[in-house]
Amino acid sequence: MALTPFLPEIVLALAAMAILLGETVWPRVGRLWVIPGAAAVGAAALLAAKVPSAAGGMFVMDGMARFLKIASASGTVLTLGLSAGMKTWRPRGVSWGAYVSLILLSTLGLMLLVSSADWLMLVVSLELVSVTCFILAGFLKDDRRGSEAAIKYFLMGAFSAGLMLYGISLYYGVFGTTSLTALRTAHLAALPRLPVVGAAFFVLAGLGFKMALVPFHMWAPDVYEGAPLPVTAFISSAPKAAAFGALLRALPNLDGLGIAGVVAILSLLTMTVGNIGALRQTNIKRLLAYSSIAQMGYVLMGAVAGGDSGRGAVLIYVLFYLFMNLGAFACAAVVCDDAGTEDLGAFSGLARRSLPLALCATIFFLSLTGIPPLAGFVGKFSLFAAALEHGWAWLAVAAVINSVVSLAYYAGIVRRMFFDEAAHAGRVGLSFSLAVCAAAAVAVTLAAGLFPDRVLGWVRSSLP
Amino acid sequence: MPLLSLITFVPLVGAVFILALKEDQKGLIHGLALAAAGIPFLLSIFAYAGFTSSAGMQFVENLSWIPSFNIHYKMGVDGLSLPMVLLTGLLSVISVWASFGIEKRIREYFFWFLLLETGMLGVFVSLDFFLFYVFWEITLVPMYFLIGVWGGPQKEYAAIKFFLYTLAGSVFMLLGILALYFASGEPGARTFDMIELSARSPLFAGAKFWWVFLALYVGFAVKIPAFPFHTWLPLAHVEAPTAVSVILAGILLKMGVYGLLRVNAAILPDLMIKFLPVLIVIAFINIIWGAFCAMGQRDMKRMVAYSSINHMGYCLLGIAAITGSYSAAGLSGAMFQMVSHGIITGSLFLLVGVIYDRAHTRNMDEFGGLASKMPLFAGLMTIQCMASLGLPGLAGFIGEFLCFLGAFGRTQQRIWVALSVIGILVTATFFLKLLKDVFLGEFNAKWEGRLSDVSSRELGTLAPLVALTVFFGVYPRPILDTTEAAVRFLVDKTSAAPAAPAVPSPAPAAAQR
Repeated sequence: MALTPFLPEIVLALAAMAILLGETVWPRVGRLWVIPGAAAVGAAALLAAKVPSAAGGMFVMDGMARFLKIASASGTVLTLGLSAGMKTWRPRGVSWGAYVSLILLSTLGLMLLVSSADWLMLVVSLELVSVTCFILAGFLKDDRRGSEAAIKYFLMGAFSAGLMLYGISLYYGVFGTTSLTALRTAHLAALPRLPVVGAAFFVLAGLGFKMALVPFHMWAPDVYEGAPLPVTAFISSAPKAAAFGALLRALPNLDGLGIAGVVAILSLLTMTVGNIGALRQTNIKRLLAYSSIAQMGYVLMGAVAGGDSGRGAVLIYVLFYLFMNLGAFACAAVVCDDAGTEDLGAFSGLARRSLPLALCATIFFLSLTGIPPLAGFVGKFSLFAAALEHGWAWLAVAAVINSVVSLAYYAGIVRRMFFDEAAHAGRVGLSFSLAVCAAAAVAVTLAAGLFPDRVLGWVRSSLP
Repeated sequence: MPLLSLITFVPLVGAVFILALKEDQKGLIHGLALAAAGIPFLLSIFAYAGFTSSAGMQFVENLSWIPSFNIHYKMGVDGLSLPMVLLTGLLSVISVWASFGIEKRIREYFFWFLLLETGMLGVFVSLDFFLFYVFWEITLVPMYFLIGVWGGPQKEYAAIKFFLYTLAGSVFMLLGILALYFASGEPGARTFDMIELSARSPLFAGAKFWWVFLALYVGFAVKIPAFPFHTWLPLAHVEAPTAVSVILAGILLKMGVYGLLRVNAAILPDLMIKFLPVLIVIAFINIIWGAFCAMGQRDMKRMVAYSSINHMGYCLLGIAAITGSYSAAGLSGAMFQMVSHGIITGSLFLLVGVIYDRAHTRNMDEFGGLASKMPLFAGLMTIQCMASLGLPGLAGFIGEFLCFLGAFGRTQQRIWVALSVIGILVTATFFLKLLKDVFLGEFNAKWEGRLSDVSSRELGTLAPLVALTVFFGVYPRPILDTTEAAVRFLVDKTSAAPAAPAVPSPAPAAAQR
């Protein structure tokens, strides 16, 4: 196979190594390593849009891979901007070069993950993402909570990888191959049912840990709270999007496997537990952690519905979710920086201190709720439409009720920003790169909400 | 010229410009807000001048918006929506003017206010269901802020209760909309076009569309608000600042009734007819419950708020007449009642605001004998209370009369209509009691020298509404003529549906003669 389809991955790998080595030569570049890092990710995204398609073997480069690579890359660029802009988390004595190259390596893992056509490739790339994320979660060495988060994350991650590998061994036992296409082409009725369904469940459990689906979500709130905010922003967005891509590729037809009903219940549980958990949180990172659990529950609905519309809705939602979630994290970064605390009280009176920032945050939270004309609404609209089209009306009803519940805590933050008095006066300091991140995310959230057809068309054309 | 787009989006443009101003540029903010609310009103008068009732949808704009779902940017007005657009324009101008007294965070206030106006206008002019839903939801957010920041003591609770209640209603509506879309044809022929859906209404006649009907109904019933979804209203009204209460009662509630007619009646006529036996009972409960609750209040604003529930009950009663021999009269009455309630109750909220601004209380027990101290105020208040209780010669009477006439035209379930008349009696009781307690009797000495009569700005906001109340009470034809063709369309639609008896429907002229 020619190397050209690998160009995005090659660029990322080389850039990660170059930055790691470069830091030893120019140790004083510091924060500015973010710039070559973001440039490399941007280049990888551009290449992903241009390189020729490839199929066969372990690696596939098709429309869906392209879409998810570009989505993950944009998430990574936003994360890098957010990391550079946030002041208070900045590590003493820990190198920026290492941080940037870890993020780049993680992105490399995401790009391979969404292109995996073979279980081995899928596991290896998923582990590349996981291992880099473990390190990132504990990146602040002298922070006890961060270290605790990293250990927890590592243990849970190792456990889920084990489950997944067990599922793959079952799969191999049935099909005699590790190729993902075997499941798609196989005549399911002729196969022994138990090992096939078992394999699907174990794989689902493994991916479910990554996506923090209930009941594999327990690690998420603690890890999200303990990890540094920019890292939390990263692990709650791009890896989840890519993991959904892997799910769509590995188990494209839940209905055919006869497990759509069970996954529908997982979806219901995920959104409900996430939303109810979020209601009582007072720490912004923890709240966003539960919110992201709930959001993944909605996305799973698209996978349950299946078909072109269901899978398309999954892709649309994860793309929009990246922007609104990272936008919300960018606003949270500014607020936590300013107040020196991650308590929700830091948001009090924000509208009086910086109206544009408060309006941006409001847009992100309303978009996460699914209020039109914002991107999140288009995403939910596609998901609900897919669910109704394929006869999952009860799940759609559960999802809309959940959306209303989610409003209660999103609006709780908005209430603090607009209705409450500020704890202290004075304008909020906003660094350039955070402002750019928030502005870019707002622009996408609004533009995609008002004129979604470009994206919808793109998704339709990229489905395999 | 895309007249309806201009009407809808001029307030939004104004809102964005206001956000770019500085907080201390008060005059400029006020001027810009008034202009941004005034231009749509002038344009809507222009639309009214060019409107022919019989011609169906007019000023139609149709652009493809999201081809993947066959969603269009489609706008147009007919006799059902044009009066609502005019009412929205008028009440918005008046409310913006009435808000000039607000001192707190005025830049944000007018931003949200104008955004709200864009949402409301958009709801009335949209002909694509997706677009309709987008505007419908856009109205929620500004209202949340307007109540939550500028409201009374319990504002935060009122704001979130309003937001949760109405969002809960509207998400079900979204599912109903999607279900209609998928049932509207084969893939490729599906549509969100409300006119097209109405033309395809026989497709949605089966019993399996009950849950679609109910999902849509719940979305609208929360807004109306129809029993048992009414509990958010008194709280939101009482806590909202005066001008916002005007908009809430004057226009937001009408969005619910409008939706019931535009969607449930026009797209699902068969189920609408089967639902009437329930609707008439809901109308009765709204009328009686609203009236008795209002009678129990000592807070004037709360009283007016409950009277809105009562008045929306009359609207529902008029709609419930849809299969009767005077169905056109009932529907015209419901339409008329929407306009007249907007004008009358809007002015009542402004009047209560006048006294609250001076005394910082709305409790009737603290007043008395105000007629001699504030004669102009007393006069205006008396006219509007009389209009609201349905005194002939004022606008309130026409609507109520037509609604009852229509409802009696239906031979079944006349008992509920008859019982609903009690509501009128109770309404008269509490409004007369309000007038007695506040204006007659002994003057409470603690207000000595503190209660000045209506100021010129307040008079400016009130005079047009009072004048229209009298005008439409004497000469209701401008409204009835505008709505006539749309009403006839709905009557035909519902009588063409299989369950309806084929009754010739007389002209909605009963009250005009």
